[in-house]
Amino acid sequence: MGRKILVVEDDAETASYLVRGLTEQGHNVAHVADGRDGLFLASDGSFDLVILDRMVPGVDGLAVLRALRAAAIATPVLILSALASVSDRIEGLEQGSDDYLVKPFSFAELLARTNALLRRGDTRPDLSPDMRMTIGDLEIDPLARIVRRGGRLLALNPREYKLLEYFARNAGRVVTRTMLLEQVWDYHFDPGTNVIDVHVSRLRRKLEDGFDRPILHTVRGAGYRLGAAQ
Amino acid sequence: MTLRVPTSLRVALVAALLALGSNLALIVFIHLRTHDDAMSMLRQRVAEEASALADVYDSGGRPALNDAVSDLLATDPQFLGALVDRNGHGRSGNVHSLAAPPARLRRGYQEGLIDPVGGAAPIVAGFVLKPLQHSLWLVSGRSFGERLALQRTLERALLLAGVLSVLLGLLCGLVTARYVSRSVRGIAAVAKGITGGDFSQRVPITGSSDAFDGLGAQINLMLDRIVALMEELRLLTDSLAHDLRSPVGRLRARVDAALAAEDDARRDSLLAGVVAEADSLMRMLTTVLEIGRSEAMASRNQFALLDPGALVAELAEMYEPLAEEAGAALTVETSGSIAPFSGHRQLLAQALSNLVDNALGYAAAGGEIRLFVEQRQGELRLGVADRGPGIAEADRQEAKRRFGRLDGSRSTSGAGLGLSLAEAVAHLHHGRLELDDNRPGLRASLVIPIGAVA
Repeated sequence: MGRKILVVEDDAETASYLVRGLTEQGHNVAHVADGRDGLFLASDGSFDLVILDRMVPGVDGLAVLRALRAAAIATPVLILSALASVSDRIEGLEQGSDDYLVKPFSFAELLARTNALLRRGDTRPDLSPDMRMTIGDLEIDPLARIVRRGGRLLALNPREYKLLEYFARNAGRVVTRTMLLEQVWDYHFDPGTNVIDVHVSRLRRKLEDGFDRPILHTVRGAGYRLGAAQ
Repeated sequence: MTLRVPTSLRVALVAALLALGSNLALIVFIHLRTHDDAMSMLRQRVAEEASALADVYDSGGRPALNDAVSDLLATDPQFLGALVDRNGHGRSGNVHSLAAPPARLRRGYQEGLIDPVGGAAPIVAGFVLKPLQHSLWLVSGRSFGERLALQRTLERALLLAGVLSVLLGLLCGLVTARYVSRSVRGIAAVAKGITGGDFSQRVPITGSSDAFDGLGAQINLMLDRIVALMEELRLLTDSLAHDLRSPVGRLRARVDAALAAEDDARRDSLLAGVVAEADSLMRMLTTVLEIGRSEAMASRNQFALLDPGALVAELAEMYEPLAEEAGAALTVETSGSIAPFSGHRQLLAQALSNLVDNALGYAAAGGEIRLFVEQRQGELRLGVADRGPGIAEADRQEAKRRFGRLDGSRSTSGAGLGLSLAEAVAHLHHGRLELDDNRPGLRASLVIPIGAVA
């Protein structure tokens, strides 16, 4: 489970918060406070994930990112930034980052995104798009877009299907509301209402009505998790 | 090295030189067109005859001189020759009298009026005076004839005109300089007052609609705009400071309560509330930032072609469950075929979602919320219409203001930023936010010009 993560962050408090939290999750975390050092360490491609502050001394975060991508280093990069406007986020993503998280953030949000990025690098044959995904008694056929639970066909509308597919690709892991908004709706602003929760609870009703075991769980203070186990 | 000359003096000099230059050019032109050699030939002949007569007098005395003068008078009708006494009266020859006693006239060549013998009118002539013995003077010269007399008058007039044009040029320069410096001084005084902090000052407009009035009017417009922006900024910072107090206060109260809580479950629920408050605070700050960015026209480089119909359909799909929960029906109305246009998908979606949020918050009881897209007269209108209480016409401006709230209280949720964000996004697209009466209800539209390519 432990993976190699590089944290490039000049703010000592945020850095130690990140290093402590990620180490507790069993990861092997390296930390530098300078963009130049970060670029140096990351350029051998040995890390599984780089968490990069956008404004670090030395070389700035986006420049580090561009340099890495120019050198064909495909390590997933998560940008941390105090620049919170929608256009800043889009700019960050357009420069080649895999995710963009605005400060201040909750550790739960960071962890959920970290896990999603780490798993993206994995090659899990049971999750490849042309194959059925099976979570407990839930079966998803991505090609035919057919969903069955306990053999019973579930009628989902296209959005509900997309939502479920995203949950399924991150099965067993926490998915936050903002991740859903970004990945399923491709919106990078904070709607500030429970609009996502309503969609999720509709999906949950369809997945769970008539079954005695819950499968789409709410994780308090973080988001949701699709999984057979409690 | 440059000499530092006051601007008004420079303006005066330039105006004077221009006036003088153009006048002198005219004078020289007239002179060149009218002048010929006749005058100088006459002058030369008079001088030669005078010196020849002087030689005759020196060698042969008065008798020889008288003979020579008589010869010339007999052969040349233009010749003037005489001996005059100290009062200028002729004793012999064809001069009756000079205009002045010879002692008061110059010696060399001169031009003047001479009364000829026989009582005719005075004639203009060029002549030379030479003193002889016994208080007598020899006058020898030639009368000008009509054309030469005219030319001489003209040249004198031109000379006078030259002198006058110097004076007029100076006057002209002074008047111009005074006018310019008075106008500029007015503007400078206003600028000084404003630098000193008095923003109520305006450049006086004389009503003459000249360039200075135009400049003054433009400066006044600029000042009005600056004052309005400053006022807006002041209101914004005031209301930001004010509006942040209540969420921070709630945050504090919850932390206090959590600290004092006896049992863990209660503490946890209070702390969850703290997180929610902190999030809404962050959201508020992000929105204020977003508004500022949009008003500053940043992020126009992220524009891309997008289909407004699809955008509206997407948002309707996103909000439909929420609307249903609130007991309202969310519908989409697309009139005609809508061409794709260049816009910022994220910000437009955020603006529209704010409008939908508002409709859900204030008008869900109205039962119907309609997202619409329409295109007419080169304008794309997309927005939300509801059947709620609407906004009275008088309150619409206030509603668009940042932190503007209509209910007076600040207890309802939402920071009053939704409409001002929508308006800022409309501005980013060179458009505007329109709030209209939906009879009943509110019809909020982002109106975006799509130019000639429709």
